[in-house]
Amino acid sequence: MSVSVRRILAGAATGALLLGLTTGCGSSGSTSSDGTVTLRYAIWDAVQKPALEKSIAAFEKQHPNIKVKIELNAWAQYWSKLQTQLAGRTAPDVFWDHVAYFPQFAQQGVLADLTPYIKADKLDTSVYDPKLLSGWEQDGKQYGLPKDWDTIAQVYNKTMLKAAGLTQEQLSALSWNTADGGTFVKALQKLTIDENGKHPDEAGFDSKHVKQYGLALASPNGQTDWWNAATQNGCKLQDKAWGKWTIDQPSCVEAIQFIRDLRLKYHVAVPASVTNTPNGAALPQVMARKQAAVVWDGSWDLNAYQSSMQDNFGVAELPSGPVGKGTVYNGLSNALYTGSAHPKEAWELVKWLGSEESQKIIVATGSVWPGIPTLNQEFVDVWKKKGVDVSAFSEEAAGTTTGYPLTTSSATYNIKVLDAFNQVWLGQQSAQKAAESVNEQSNAAVK
Amino acid sequence: MEAYILLTPSLIGFLLFLLAPIAGVVVISFFDWNLMGSPRFVGLANYREIAGDSEVWRAVRNTVYYVVLNIPAQTVLALLLALAMNRRMRGGKVLRVLFVLPWMAMPVALGIVWNWAFDPQHGVINQFLSLFGVDGPAWLSSTTWAMPVLASVNVWQYTGYTMLFLLAGLQAIPESLYEAADLDGAGPVQRFFRITLPLLRPSMFFVLVTNTIGSFQMFDTVYVMTQGGPGGSTDTMNFHIYQQAFQLFRSGYASALAMLLFALILLVTAAQVLYFRKRTVYDFS
Amino acid sequence: MSSSITSSSSMSIPAVLRRSTLYAILLIGALLSVGPYLLTLNAAFKRPADLLSTDAWTPAHPATFANFADVWNQYGMSSFLLHTLAVSVVVTAGQVVFSAMAAYALARLEFPGRDWLFWGYLATMMVPQMITLVPLFLMMRDLGMVDTYAGLVLPTVFGTPYGVFLVRQHFMTIPKDLESAARIDGATTWGIFVRIMLPLSRPILATLATITFINTWNNLIWPLIITNSDRTRVITVGIAALQGQHASDLPHIVLAGAAIALLPLIVVFLVFQRHIVRSIALTGLK
Repeated sequence: MSVSVRRILAGAATGALLLGLTTGCGSSGSTSSDGTVTLRYAIWDAVQKPALEKSIAAFEKQHPNIKVKIELNAWAQYWSKLQTQLAGRTAPDVFWDHVAYFPQFAQQGVLADLTPYIKADKLDTSVYDPKLLSGWEQDGKQYGLPKDWDTIAQVYNKTMLKAAGLTQEQLSALSWNTADGGTFVKALQKLTIDENGKHPDEAGFDSKHVKQYGLALASPNGQTDWWNAATQNGCKLQDKAWGKWTIDQPSCVEAIQFIRDLRLKYHVAVPASVTNTPNGAALPQVMARKQAAVVWDGSWDLNAYQSSMQDNFGVAELPSGPVGKGTVYNGLSNALYTGSAHPKEAWELVKWLGSEESQKIIVATGSVWPGIPTLNQEFVDVWKKKGVDVSAFSEEAAGTTTGYPLTTSSATYNIKVLDAFNQVWLGQQSAQKAAESVNEQSNAAVK
Repeated sequence: MEAYILLTPSLIGFLLFLLAPIAGVVVISFFDWNLMGSPRFVGLANYREIAGDSEVWRAVRNTVYYVVLNIPAQTVLALLLALAMNRRMRGGKVLRVLFVLPWMAMPVALGIVWNWAFDPQHGVINQFLSLFGVDGPAWLSSTTWAMPVLASVNVWQYTGYTMLFLLAGLQAIPESLYEAADLDGAGPVQRFFRITLPLLRPSMFFVLVTNTIGSFQMFDTVYVMTQGGPGGSTDTMNFHIYQQAFQLFRSGYASALAMLLFALILLVTAAQVLYFRKRTVYDFS
Repeated sequence: MSSSITSSSSMSIPAVLRRSTLYAILLIGALLSVGPYLLTLNAAFKRPADLLSTDAWTPAHPATFANFADVWNQYGMSSFLLHTLAVSVVVTAGQVVFSAMAAYALARLEFPGRDWLFWGYLATMMVPQMITLVPLFLMMRDLGMVDTYAGLVLPTVFGTPYGVFLVRQHFMTIPKDLESAARIDGATTWGIFVRIMLPLSRPILATLATITFINTWNNLIWPLIITNSDRTRVITVGIAALQGQHASDLPHIVLAGAAIALLPLIVVFLVFQRHIVRSIALTGLK
């Protein structure tokens, strides 16, 4: 091929591409000839899909001119796909949003501000927990309505707890400190047994051959492990919402060190080589294998425990730390895409998904706590019928909580923290150094 | 003229669906673009950033280390397997299917199963080692072992596939050459080095070039098993590119990184081509 | 190495010993190859609770078909399987035909820029595919092919550099005399291609067909990006979608789905392998 032909081809390709980069139009949903609007709704949880289909069937009945198509993709692919779609301006009209991604989306203008719609429809947003609602707000603009919420609690094996002479009330009332670990570590010592039947506080305990650990912890970013200890120690992950990361502060490093000590100093927690993300065993699996008596896990995993342990598990509150009780409190929202060709209809869907009527349908599945707190009791009742008291999650939600950090650097933080903290839990890096490096790199990425 | 008619469909695909997107990548590599807003021209800034980015150079080292672990092991094993299978034997067909099976695996399921296998306490591998009194390491939590584990998984996956090409090459070697060698009193070792290996060179060339290119772009196994950890020890170039592009929203930088990987592969492939060109003595055409 | 050892009836004792050792090694190798599949299959038959609580090699007991039934009915795998089949067949047919045509031109016909073009094909293999997805997606959007079968099929149906490379290498091993003879008899280029080159290349074309079919079948990332609705969804995307945000979600369903998705591939391989082995010859670059 001659040089000039190649140049022309390259030029044409580039031209076509740049055209693609800059043209802003493109529709997401579609309108058929009879005036029926089809909306696309993207979600990432297969477990909730059947319940959502039920809710949407009810919605379509109320709005005969709107059809909704659910597009399910796994969390692992959801965001890559969504970003590509956003680049091509073909994103779904309505999609599940997570706090880790929300700030970047808000900044890029792909999320529609719901405030005018809320005002026009005189929607009562006081039905939502203000802490949840404000998580989707920036500069007075509301970018989503709460879909659900979650907290972290202690899921325990009933048989093991009983064998150690402990009750759920006692488990909920434990406390830890940085000096000797407090009653929390004492209880975990009772629940940790080596192959000769000895406990970690006994002479001759063999930390290399432990049959049953008191605790198992796992988290790719801290949400189900050290963020909770940090909250209990008065640590703030950020100086303020949308501000700088502050995980290198002493109160945070102490909490990180404590989580590390549970494994490496007290030998009461399952070694990190077993639980580290991504190749480690999932917490429900650790419990099913009877490797641990207690795990810290999120309310979203309740169904997994039920399927692996039937009714042999209970839920207790997290211990209190030097500063008091505390948990991570988070939730998802339904977001409206600014590029939607049918914003009015899409708003109707967002409004419906945030309504009590719709959330009641989802609650009945017992998969997630509802975004509207007055429905919490219904969730508790669903689980009561299954023989599990899940109120520890809502007790904690009412107390001191840490929200998911609101920052544009979540992606950087998530990548850095996974690798650095896995090494901390393995004893390959110090808590101080890891916290400092993750803090610095995450702050450098704040936009 | 006929040539162009024969080439037309392939050329359409090549220009439109390969070259045009690649041209796009080249263009994007000069921009700062997060996929959502409008791209901003930054000249060579992305390339300058690469020069000072120690994580990129670690990823380059990791990638080269992976290729060095993977390609020789996979090629030698595949060759031995092909030699062993190149005879009429009972069950040969069944064995062939079994050896090629790993290549058909779906990465998602593979990740689940291999992570089970390498579990430090409940994994098949350490349980097996413990039969001999060996305390197996925590494979995927070890900066020393994680990369060799990934290389082994890929050797597992592609050895049978590679064998298929080498077996085909072996079967094309005329029997008469071996008979002549027998008459000269050549032993099995001499037969291998004088006849088999030289005549296998064309197959070897194809296998080495395509497998090396593939190895440099290794992604699935890192993605499902280690996400680049522990301690960054399995962060390969292609995984790093993925993180920059799809987790950090940095399309421009990721595109520049892709150019770097491209250059690296081009260099290695060119070296392979020169090596084989010099040595391919037998000409079939 | 050669098949001279195969004259079997009167083997000496060391030969028998050698042969059994060889078999033993091959069997161990085969077991290693199949091991992870056996674990997958075993796990797919376990009840969710057993899957989490028992070790991977513990037999599924009691075994259940529920996972297969669920993935088939509840998660719509049957229709995804059909879509995948359609896409794989079309792409495979296109690739084999178009790669062979291009390979013949590149191997045998003289035209300006031939070698440059060949090297261009090879070079595109060296660009990480993942990064080209965004520009490719934008193009497909402009062509109006998002969420269509055309969008799924077009990027690979015209052939890939890999396919062209593979077939070209084979064409170069076919003696030129055959063509010259045919040309003297008045055969056209097209006639030579169809009547001489293609029949002589059946093994390599079968190889290419197998590789293309399996690669297309297992491809996740492009179908993920280009399709949205269940109307065009393929099996890899369907199975991948079942992994939740948390590692504990539905591994039993994922494994059952993967087991189902593998079966057709084994069938395809069995059908084609007859043609593959026996004399594929490849030659070096020139």
